[in-house]
Parts: sequence; structure tokens; C-alpha cells
Amino acid sequence: MKRSSNRFFLMLLALAAAVAVLMSVMTYFSTTSAALPNLAGIIVSPFRSASAAIAETFGRWTGYFTEVDALREENRQLKLQIAEMEETVRQATFDREENAHLRNLADLREQRRDLHFESARVLVQDSSNWYSQLTINKGTAHDLTVGDAVVTEEGDLLGVVTEAGLNWATVRTILDSESSIGALVFRSGGSALAQGDFSLMSRGCLSLNYLGTEPDVVAGDLIVTSGLGGYYPSQLVIGYVEEVRTGDDGLAQYAVLRPEMTLDGLTQVYVVTSFDIVD
Amino acid sequence: MLPKSYVVFKWAVYTIATLFLCALQSLVFSHIHVFRLTPFLYPLLPAVLSIFEGSRRGSLFAFFFGIACDLLLPAPFPGFFTLIFPVVAAASATVAERLLSRGFLCAGIVSCLSLLLTGAFRIFIQLLSGGQYMGLMARIALGEAVLTLPALLLVLPVYRTIYRRCASDY
Repeated sequence: MKRSSNRFFLMLLALAAAVAVLMSVMTYFSTTSAALPNLAGIIVSPFRSASAAIAETFGRWTGYFTEVDALREENRQLKLQIAEMEETVRQATFDREENAHLRNLADLREQRRDLHFESARVLVQDSSNWYSQLTINKGTAHDLTVGDAVVTEEGDLLGVVTEAGLNWATVRTILDSESSIGALVFRSGGSALAQGDFSLMSRGCLSLNYLGTEPDVVAGDLIVTSGLGGYYPSQLVIGYVEEVRTGDDGLAQYAVLRPEMTLDGLTQVYVVTSFDIVD
Repeated sequence: MLPKSYVVFKWAVYTIATLFLCALQSLVFSHIHVFRLTPFLYPLLPAVLSIFEGSRRGSLFAFFFGIACDLLLPAPFPGFFTLIFPVVAAASATVAERLLSRGFLCAGIVSCLSLLLTGAFRIFIQLLSGGQYMGLMARIALGEAVLTLPALLLVLPVYRTIYRRCASDY
């Protein structure tokens, strides 16, 4: 009896290993999503939509009671921010006119950035202790492909599509330890790499690495996507530098980034399905 | 020999209960954050079910549940849950059959075992792929286990009720 039980368990383990190998092979050879996960995603899609709707409704109800004070404070802060931004816009309008005039003088083409968005709803936030991922309700049927950048309503970079099924897609957020995106220090123009870091993920931060031999980065610097290589659009806001640290080797420096996007209460996102950069 | 309809009915009820618990993880537990950690219910389910159903049936359930998890949840590699859940189920059934009677203590120990085994396997995979932060990962795995264990108060009665009701009906 015991021997037959052992044999059964060994056979089951061998079968499990075969399934694991099969899944790995299917994932390896798939450019969007392997057939089985795609099918599973399609089947559970309605349930995920329903659970997202329930969670959203519940969140809205509780929000009425718990968020009043926070919203008042936010409103006060936003009024101050609007005043500052109005001043910035006035300056930007003046700068844009001057820029157009100088470009005209130098005979340069107008620089333009065209982004094409596909809006999507967040179905599941897989922000477990080990990963930071989202599942959204749009997929290959809506022209989404692996590698598309995903932004929030405010246009801040949220992450990148890593798997795309027919009517669903998985988005790896910039906090995930496997995330890596070309970045630019907005003030100094220095290029770097914004990478998810397992030790910072739980704090909701990521790291800015490969800053060069003499990094020109200070706390408060705005970090945007570099757009180098043409994989992602440029000038998408990643976040702000929280602090600059020295690495474990005692030589290289890296910065801790506080992303501008927030995953709390996130329901709507926008996938950049295509973009043109015209210089 | 039990009638076929009984077997189908019992496993259909187990499946519905498992779906309910998965929905609970998705709707409730994934929104709970204690010390920046979230409970992770899934390894508990095949472990607790195996206490009642034994090594064979428990491992088989764990195998299919693992496939479902692999298709829908992020994992270190495709097939991670398919491999670890039958091991968890077999270990749990062994504890229940040879060491302790099928009570709350037994369920607590096998739940602890299942969460730690899953965590250890995850860390082992990260170690193989040259991962850093082993200490941090171990702390997270331990914290996750501690945070998930109270969910046993919900999982155990659900599976025990199904097991007892089905056993008493036939």
C-alpha cells in the first residue's frame, strides 16, 4: 500500500515537472501570451471584472466616510499647486514662443510627440509581497502588444505590458524588481536606468542606477523616461529623487526614486499603443 | 466503492469552496497590509484539504490547483505552483495520517509548513537565478506565513464542513 502510494506521488511529481516544462516552453516561444494562460485569462476575465467592480464599489462607499479629511487637505494643497502651475504655464508660454522663434531662425523642424492611447480598467492588482503587477481588461484584440508603456490618468509612467492575452494584459509596474527603463534626469539631462529593486519595492520606491562617474543628481530631481532606443516614449514622468546613496561597493552611486504614480485606488490606466517622435 | 455521483458532488463542492476562498484572497486579503506585507492564502488550501482527503486525492487536487495558480498568478517560473503544491499536500497528509489527529493543531502545523515550504522554494529559485536579498526574502516569507495563518480560522471550517457533510451523507 505504502509502495503504491509512493509510486503514485512520484508519478504525480513527474507529471507536474512535465507540465512545468511545457508551460516554460510555451512561454518561451510566445511573443504575447502562451495559449493556456491566454485561455485561462479569457475564462476568468468576467469574474475578474465582477470582482474589480465589487472592490471599486466597496472602496467608494468606505471612501465617503474615511477620506473626507484627507480630501480637504488635498484640496488645499491642490489650490496652492494650481497657483504655482499657473505661474509656470505663463513662463512656459513665453518660452514656447521664444523656442518657436529660435527654431525658425535655426531652420529646425518643430519637435512633436504623438502618443496614441488605449484606455483600460484595472481588474486585479497583484501587488503581493514578491511582485508588483496589474491585470487590465484590454489585450491583443485592442492592439496592445508586449512592451507597450502604461501611464496613469496624469500621464505618469506606471509600467510596461509584459503579457497580452486576447482581452486581458499583465502590466509589470516600475516598482517590480524585474522592471528596467531608460531614464533621464530632467534638470541635468544625465541618462540613467530606473530599475525596480526588491528591497525598495515594499516602500513603494525604485532605484536609479548607472548614474555615471560624476553623477549630477540631487534629492528632488525630476526623472523622466529617456526614450533612448525608441522602446518607450520620452518625457513620461517616472518620479522624483528621494535620496542619493552609495552602493555596496562603496564607489558607484544610485538614487532612490519615489514614483509619481500611486497604485492605491488605481482603477483606470492608459496604454501607449504607438507613438511618434518627430525631431 | 463509493458511487460516482458522490465523488463528483463532493469535488464540485470542494471546487466551489476553493473558488470562494480565492475570491476572498482577491477581494479582501490582497487589500490587507500589515508592516507592508500581504497575506497569501493559496498554499494553505491544498494543505488543509489534504488533511481530510489524504495523500493521493489531496496531491491530485493540489496538482490541478497548482496549474490554475500558475496560469493566473505571477510566479518565479511557469509551473512553480504545479510543482510545489503536490509536495505541500503530500507533506500535510503525512502529518495528519501519522503524527497528529485532524484537528486545529494539525491544520495549524501543516499550514505553517505549506507557507514556509512555498517561501523556501521561492527563495531557492531566486538563489539559483543569482538573486540578492536572501535575508530580506526570508523575512518576507516568514512575515507572510505569520500574517496568513489567522486565515486558517476560515479555511479549516469550510473544508471540514464539506468533508463531514459529505461523509455523513454517504
